[in-house]
Amino acid sequence: MILVGELSLWVALLMAAWAATVSFAGGQMRRADLIESGERAIYATLAMVVLASLGLWTALLTHDFSIKYVASFTSANLPKIYTITAFWGGQSGSLLFWALILSIYSAIALWTNRTRNRELMPYVSGTLALILVFFLATICLGSNPFERLDWIPADGRGLNPQLQNPGMAIHPPNLYLGYVGTSIPFAFAIAALLTRRLDAEWLAAVRRWALLAWFFNTVGIVLGMWWAYVELGWGGYWAWDPVENASLLPWLVNTAFLHSIMVQEKRGMLRKWNVTLVVSAFLLSIFGTFITRSGVISSVHSFAQSPVGKWFAAFLVVAIAVTAYLVSTRLNDLKSNAQLESMISREAAFLYNNLVLVGIAFSVLWGTLFPIISEAVRGNKITVGPPFFNTVNIPLGLLLLLLTGIGPLIAWRRASVANLRRQFIIPVATAITTGLLFFALGVHNLPALLSYTFGALVVATVVQEFYKGVIARHRMYGESRLIALPRLIARNRRRYGGYIVHLGVVVVFAAFAGLAFKREFDLTLNAGDSRTVTDAWGHRWTFLSQGISRYNVLNREVTAIALDVTRDGKPAGVITSEKRQHVDSRGAPTFEPSTEVGIKGSFKQDVYVVLAGVRGVDAAEIRVTFNPLVRWVWLGGALMAIGGLVVMWPQADRQRVQSGYAAVLKPQHVPERIPDLVGA
Amino acid sequence: MITRRQLVLAIPALGLGAAAFPRRIRAAQVAVQTFNGPMADAGEVYHPVTLPSKPGAKPSMTDAERDELEHQIHCQCGCNLDVYTCRTTDFACSVSPAMHADVMGLVAGGHSAQEILAAFRSVYGERVLMAPVRSGFNLLGYTMPFIALGAGAIAVAALMRRWKSHATVVGTPLSPHVDATESELAALDAAVRHDR
Repeated sequence: MILVGELSLWVALLMAAWAATVSFAGGQMRRADLIESGERAIYATLAMVVLASLGLWTALLTHDFSIKYVASFTSANLPKIYTITAFWGGQSGSLLFWALILSIYSAIALWTNRTRNRELMPYVSGTLALILVFFLATICLGSNPFERLDWIPADGRGLNPQLQNPGMAIHPPNLYLGYVGTSIPFAFAIAALLTRRLDAEWLAAVRRWALLAWFFNTVGIVLGMWWAYVELGWGGYWAWDPVENASLLPWLVNTAFLHSIMVQEKRGMLRKWNVTLVVSAFLLSIFGTFITRSGVISSVHSFAQSPVGKWFAAFLVVAIAVTAYLVSTRLNDLKSNAQLESMISREAAFLYNNLVLVGIAFSVLWGTLFPIISEAVRGNKITVGPPFFNTVNIPLGLLLLLLTGIGPLIAWRRASVANLRRQFIIPVATAITTGLLFFALGVHNLPALLSYTFGALVVATVVQEFYKGVIARHRMYGESRLIALPRLIARNRRRYGGYIVHLGVVVVFAAFAGLAFKREFDLTLNAGDSRTVTDAWGHRWTFLSQGISRYNVLNREVTAIALDVTRDGKPAGVITSEKRQHVDSRGAPTFEPSTEVGIKGSFKQDVYVVLAGVRGVDAAEIRVTFNPLVRWVWLGGALMAIGGLVVMWPQADRQRVQSGYAAVLKPQHVPERIPDLVGA
Repeated sequence: MITRRQLVLAIPALGLGAAAFPRRIRAAQVAVQTFNGPMADAGEVYHPVTLPSKPGAKPSMTDAERDELEHQIHCQCGCNLDVYTCRTTDFACSVSPAMHADVMGLVAGGHSAQEILAAFRSVYGERVLMAPVRSGFNLLGYTMPFIALGAGAIAVAALMRRWKSHATVVGTPLSPHVDATESELAALDAAVRHDR
């Protein structure tokens, strides 16, 4: 099976190359046989990549340490679940995993479009095949997971302990599903540019794929934050590390696209902009991979430096050049049908929103690259860490939050003064009241205060929109409000799913603002010692050391501390934190010791305990961090994912036809009694 | 033209040939994936930072202020964390405790936060700070996102103005009437009612 897998990789490369050649040729020559051959070659590539993946999984599960990848990332005593997830634990395996997802996505895209978009499909399959060629060539020639050692070690090195975490088992697949998901819209954009069919047809085909990529990217980012929080032990969930930034960039651009696509669908505007966003999301996904693999930028997540980085750089340059050429030569075809009528309109609000989202993406990219720029210009190495990113991005983030509250309140085409007054009065009053309330409660940190104020604006906006919709259905159909709410969402999933995402964003912002009240304490405790500290809420916490214990379990030697905790004199349970030294099957240490954080969580705050080290026999050095509102980050992330699912959920044809009909009406002229059911 | 049979036979043959192609095997060099950073030895990257104590020196700051200061100093072990976070997270790092000891020495010597940061900068260079100092070329780093946003805003405003003037001349004027016929509206109403 392993040999079959290895051979399959090469066959897959040839199949993909065939698919690319005949698809483009078929499209150009309008030869149905070549087009069909290209599509079949994509399906064959999928079969070959699946075989290759099964080969690697077989090698991992049978502990074939003659294979370098298996010896580097697994050991005989590695738990089975992590032996399976070691597939994407190292560079070459993760590249194969990427190729696997891309070939699955490509096959699905071809299958779902077998009777639609036929003019575009040869170029779509050709572009996807070219991307597959790049990945498979990189794997076969640059980083082959089936590379063999010239000797067989008795045991493998084992998987990095910090990857031996359930979050890490599912975070990378989600992130890859998000990254790779941007390939399909990119392929459609290239196809639309090549064929000059730049109307709404290609947009309709890519919207769901862009949503899918956004959904998985969101889930991947939030899971990554959770993993960093519980596993790395530095006390936070986002460090503005280059690799974290790399995952954020396509997410920001994709979010911008999911907003601006509505303007093109409803008004035929922003055509150039939408093509640019789709292409940028894909290029930024490749850029993120380049950062991770090249070692150009220092990152805690970086894979070992390898020549693969150069492959990615070359691919990035070629992709940028080709798309820039295609866009620049088709500017006339990308002219908008309609023109903006007012700066105070929904489409203008989407433009402002896009400007800020892309502005944030630029600032993140700029901060990530600034050390390189500085070194190139001044020959001076600098560090661009969280203080820089917070300084630059907090104002932009607050501006985005404000726009999230304002945008949905403004009508399409042109908002009248009466319309603005009617729509804004309750949300603005709610926001001002909330701001004053939080100030009176002692929140004097300006970004935090603005975050809660603007958050209240968004929540009031969303509640008002839901309320108006429910009342409209109640009046029109006599439905009870409880029945009207789910039906309202079901009738226009894009609109109300989007509002659920907005609520998730508010929850995440509120949680971020909670960081302003973080408290950290550095304690040294002997067995029986206790220390009392005070959190931001004024509670007094006492930590009593029960002493250090040392024991062996599974594939690790554990040093642990248990702390009896009391809050304001009342028992609050026991918190344990561990240092783990992982060992191979012969008991030899495999990696640096890793941290197992002790967390006592609630919706108010997490008490986060890290055993930093042991001095002498029994003196534990621990860090206690009171992290306010962390659970709300996960809750907000879940809400965003749920909103994304609501938006993605397929609508029955009957509903689609009706919402399409409603959408082309001018909102301001729709009869008064159904105003809230029209437009998104 | 290549027949299907030829293709089926040719591709695996090419695959076998490619797989058999000799490849370099580097046995001893096992790829290492790092998640804590390179964890350099203190001997390689640590350089003492000392200043003479001020006369009659007293500690220049509280422990909390010192911890806050250490959040601004970049640990040089390769972890991308600040000195405080690294030393209180990972006891495998020998660099952050050494840098912490230097900070403690400078605090005990009566030096202010700015003096301590300057001392670290003179030894390690600017990379020892968690964020670039706000002067000279670095100002471009801090302001560029806002410059870009401003430029984007100006471009959007110009575009809107152009669109707006264009719409006034050639665009469809806003109709005071509903953009649908009576029969269409009736059909819509019926469809919405049917769609409960």
